[in-house]
Amino acid sequence: MHIDWFVLFCQIFNFLLLVYLLKRFLYGRIIKAMDDREAKIAARFAEAEELKVKATEAAGLYEKRNQLLNEAKEKMLNEATMAADAKRKELMEQVRVEVDQVKARWQDMLVREHDAFFYDLRQRAAKQLYATARKALRDLADADLEDRIVDEFLRRVKALDEEKSIQIRKAISGGGNQVTIQSAFSVSGQRRAQIEDVLKTQITNGFTIRYLQQPDIVSGIELRVNGHKIAWSLNEYLEALVESMTETLQKEAHAA
Amino acid sequence: MEIVSLNQISPDQVIIWSWGFITLNVTILYTWLVMAILLFISWLATRNLSSEMKVSRWQHFLEVIISVVRGEISEMTKKGADKYIPLIGTLFLFICTCNVLVIVPGFVAPTSSITTTASLALCVFIAVPYYGISHNGLFHYLKEYFQPNFIFFPFHVMGELARTLALTVRLFGNIMSHEKVIGILLSVTPLLFPVIMQALGLLIGVIQAYIFAILSMVYIASAVSAEEEHHVHVDVKKEGSQA
Repeated sequence: MHIDWFVLFCQIFNFLLLVYLLKRFLYGRIIKAMDDREAKIAARFAEAEELKVKATEAAGLYEKRNQLLNEAKEKMLNEATMAADAKRKELMEQVRVEVDQVKARWQDMLVREHDAFFYDLRQRAAKQLYATARKALRDLADADLEDRIVDEFLRRVKALDEEKSIQIRKAISGGGNQVTIQSAFSVSGQRRAQIEDVLKTQITNGFTIRYLQQPDIVSGIELRVNGHKIAWSLNEYLEALVESMTETLQKEAHAA
Repeated sequence: MEIVSLNQISPDQVIIWSWGFITLNVTILYTWLVMAILLFISWLATRNLSSEMKVSRWQHFLEVIISVVRGEISEMTKKGADKYIPLIGTLFLFICTCNVLVIVPGFVAPTSSITTTASLALCVFIAVPYYGISHNGLFHYLKEYFQPNFIFFPFHVMGELARTLALTVRLFGNIMSHEKVIGILLSVTPLLFPVIMQALGLLIGVIQAYIFAILSMVYIASAVSAEEEHHVHVDVKKEGSQA
């Protein structure tokens, strides 16, 4: 078989030329493109991995924050609930105190009105009783009410026991030997002398008597000396009347 | 259309133009044609080269081929595959293109000429010591010819020549004989049977291209890795003796 050496070297040259040209225009470029693509893919994977890690971290962070927020919300809710309860209790207490105060004021006012009413009632009743009794005594027994009052006063002075007399005597001597007799009416001179005689007889001598007229003493007369008192008035009767009326009113109030 | 007659063994014998010792025959002409086709495809593939995910079909096609070649070389050399791609890849692409184009009527495969296969084998014959020396150095490369002792030097040289001759004759014999067989079959049993043989010829052509490229790489890899294996072998022996 004949081998043409020119053709042989020509083919070697052709092949080496082809190797050079393909290396220059094909392999280099294609391999570079492939390597670039691989690098890009690797970079994308790395980026994706990094993003995944970041996303995981972010998710963890958000979860933690969420948990903290939930805890804070729970805590705030609890605190708000507790504060609301405390405020409610405080307001209730305040309202209760205010209600109690209003109630107390109302009760005070009621008591005052009650007292004023019965004071007024007592005054009116006393005046009415006094006028009625005087008229009755004058019409029926031809007697004066003031005289009967003084008589009753004197009877009570006479009826004093020894111990009481001693106490009053001591009180008179401790009070500057002065006795004050107050009455709702004017005591006549005759009755004054009579009173003085009885007192001196029953208690002691050596004191002076001062007479005062006080309309507040409801149809009565009283002796006051250094904390001791001998008296008669319509008050005792009026107290019974007031007590009876109060009882009646309370019954009606309960019934209503 | 018959360019090379049945009694002509090689297309070298079909001379188109000559001037003195300068001869232009069918082999050279079709080699230029194949070169032109390969360069045209390269231009098509690389004119809009992209490193993005979406690439052209030609680029994709060549990337697949180069990836396969790269993978095969990497399996043998373990590292530095890109250094051998121009030679091995061009061997494969050139031989494969020549063999596949046989199916085109009127085309004469340059690989059916012993001159072409010999020139390719000579390139490999030169490439083996080139890569071996550039990788291991002249001394270590030449030392391999005297392993295990100097008596084996002629056998190593004969082996080198023999495998170059084997590369030459294997490719030439396969392609030339196939063309002759097809030519004979066309004259004896026309129509269907030659078509089957042509299809078989395509397969043989691709396999021959693959074998030529792989064997070339094996020769180069053996020259490159011989010194490394020797070092590894020595290291293993040292470790064994120390143990």
